[in-house]
Amino acid sequence: MSKRPDFAFEPAPNLPGSDRLSKYALAGINATVHRLWDVQVTGLENVPLSGPALICPNHLSFCDSVFVPAALPRRVWAIGKGEYMDDWKTKHLFPAMGMIPVDRTGGKAAMEALDTAARVLDGGHLFMIYPEGTRSRDQNLHKGRTGAARLAIRCNAPLIPVGHQGTVDIQPPGKFTMKPFQTCKINFGAPLRPADFGEIDDPRLGRRLTDALMFEIAKLSGQTYVDTYAGEKKKAFEEPGTRPMAPSQDAPTRPTRPASRSNGTSAPTKPTKPSRPTTPTRPTAKTS
Amino acid sequence: MNLARIIDQHPADDLALVDGAEEVTYGQLRERVDAMRTLLANRSVKPGDHVVLACGNEIHFVVAMLGVFGVGAVAAPLNPYSPIKELVRKAEPMEPTLVVVGDVASWMLERPDDVGMPMLDMSQIVDAGEAPPAVVSCEPSDPAVLLSTSGVSGVPKIAVLSHGNLAWVQEALTNCGDQSLQRDDVSLATLPVAHVLGLNVAVLATLRVGGKVVLQRRFDVDESLRLISEHQVTMLTGAPPMWQRWAESDAPADSMASVRFARSGAAALQGPVFEAMRERFGVEVREGYGLTETSSVVSTGRGLEVRQTSVGKPLPGLEVVLVDDDGEPVDFGDVGEIVVRGPGVFQGYLNDPDGTASILTEDGWLWTGDVGLFDDDGFLYLVDRVKDVIIVSGFNVYPAEVETALMAHPDVRGAVVVGTAHGKTGETVVAHISGAVDETELRQFAEEHLSRYKCPTEYHFVDELPVAPTGKPVRRELRS
Repeated sequence: MSKRPDFAFEPAPNLPGSDRLSKYALAGINATVHRLWDVQVTGLENVPLSGPALICPNHLSFCDSVFVPAALPRRVWAIGKGEYMDDWKTKHLFPAMGMIPVDRTGGKAAMEALDTAARVLDGGHLFMIYPEGTRSRDQNLHKGRTGAARLAIRCNAPLIPVGHQGTVDIQPPGKFTMKPFQTCKINFGAPLRPADFGEIDDPRLGRRLTDALMFEIAKLSGQTYVDTYAGEKKKAFEEPGTRPMAPSQDAPTRPTRPASRSNGTSAPTKPTKPSRPTTPTRPTAKTS
Repeated sequence: MNLARIIDQHPADDLALVDGAEEVTYGQLRERVDAMRTLLANRSVKPGDHVVLACGNEIHFVVAMLGVFGVGAVAAPLNPYSPIKELVRKAEPMEPTLVVVGDVASWMLERPDDVGMPMLDMSQIVDAGEAPPAVVSCEPSDPAVLLSTSGVSGVPKIAVLSHGNLAWVQEALTNCGDQSLQRDDVSLATLPVAHVLGLNVAVLATLRVGGKVVLQRRFDVDESLRLISEHQVTMLTGAPPMWQRWAESDAPADSMASVRFARSGAAALQGPVFEAMRERFGVEVREGYGLTETSSVVSTGRGLEVRQTSVGKPLPGLEVVLVDDDGEPVDFGDVGEIVVRGPGVFQGYLNDPDGTASILTEDGWLWTGDVGLFDDDGFLYLVDRVKDVIIVSGFNVYPAEVETALMAHPDVRGAVVVGTAHGKTGETVVAHISGAVDETELRQFAEEHLSRYKCPTEYHFVDELPVAPTGKPVRRELRS
């Protein structure tokens, strides 16, 4: 139904997944996608044809991970659950499609995930990450987590904002199958380079860059932005590659985290909120 | 315990205070404080009474305060340079038993009707030869000081700090590695002593270790440099406008050679000032963070490597958590409101349970209203005030970031940014600018340095911007 963008296969012998299997798998999947769906792509000139970049789409449907890579002119990698490697059906195919398995249990999982992503970028490849961390269930664009921005800063790689529409109609939440012959629009925005947003060693840069990224995604996707994280608190960080950067083990002080976000390295503490005469959830001073 | 006892253990011949030509040893200070206790007892000042100290940075202030502590009363320092009506307006809610008047406020003695409260003239203090009353024993939670503040809430309030609150911070400053306060330190007290930083860090903490406090009644850049050099000051605490004046002075490069710890507080220090201090005087100014409600210090760069724009690390023993709007701790490395719990957190606001409950929980968490973040090594950075955040199309805009970006334009002398209601985006960014700069050029400059939604949509050009003496922009005066 749509013309497949020019695609140049990029060998990556140092990353998981067989190059040979990858070549055939991607060719087959991409051809199928463009045959069964009308994938309308704009802004493809914003995706660099060489060198590292982070592909940062909004996240509405499971099939985002199919359509966004299929719109790219290059291979792209992302982090996936280590459990896929235990299943014979996925253990070869998923890595060939660009999934890098990471064991996300245990205290060092977040660091490992980010180190893996950094390895992809440092190798000059594309890495895809959902800044929202998980799918948005209310169709709004949610507050971005800072992992993508921190990776961009660490690896000196540009962030490519991506806003898409239509994937949630193709595969609504809870559905296993994808409805064929639908239209999906994928818009790539201009690259955001960390150095354009402040001093690279300023720790405030992570949030600044993330908000700029979300602003661009909102423009590209047409979604309304809400300044809260997507998904339930307890289910945050379930998507590949979006865990927060863990504090270094020898940090003399570290902010405490609640049990739901604890990666097992710190004792959770949640401060109680002050009593509020006007509402039970916010201090009076903060409502004015 | 009683904070009055912090001077008890030091050698009688060691210098404690210098105020112009007058010098006072610890022995002499103890005698004067004894006499002060006698005088207060004779004026029927009892434990728990409030005593206003209308004194400047002068020896009388220290004597009066330690005397007040000694009888178990509560000292309430006020800025003696305030107009009489403002001073009285601040004093009245404290319901003072007595107003102690020092040299710089002696004019008050001639206007008893305007003051309307009993006064004690410090210049009349003499040793009556009577045996002084014993120092009253206090609990750590007993109030020691009342301080006027508009810090967290933006509305003037009176913070109650206990003996334990103040003492804990003083002790913590003696445990900061090679920049710990110690007996041979000399501190220049040029910040007003009615400000918690001047009171607890520059004066009380230095006296606790037996150091020397050089009092400067009012900040004057040349005089302060002379005092630093003459008295070989080692501990220098100032607000950003002071650092700017020092950085711009034409004093010799070795004028601050004796300074081993330089600290800026009360507002953000501008990068060029930091650089100038380092280049001109070889002094690396470390920033710190604290509030009146935390007895002055939450975090400090004391004893740590210098990280420009960081306010150091939290004092050991303080719990500092960054939380989102729902009170959930934020991701590591992300921004959130700074919430603090620990022994330095104050007792509450005087006669204001609702005001207290709005920022302080029963289990001791203080919601500071400041937004910050930690870096990977645990250094804290400030971003802005929660209530100053402008929300444009759902996105947070921190005015300080926009102000810093605009100030980078060579023709901009000052910038204060506020939000105003906007029908389409909720709020929009409005910039108030001082300096001879073309609006079109500045708009273009902003677009090159800021995300689109952060760019001001309105510019107002003014001669002077509202800035507090500490260097903080007073944004509330510009909100429409």
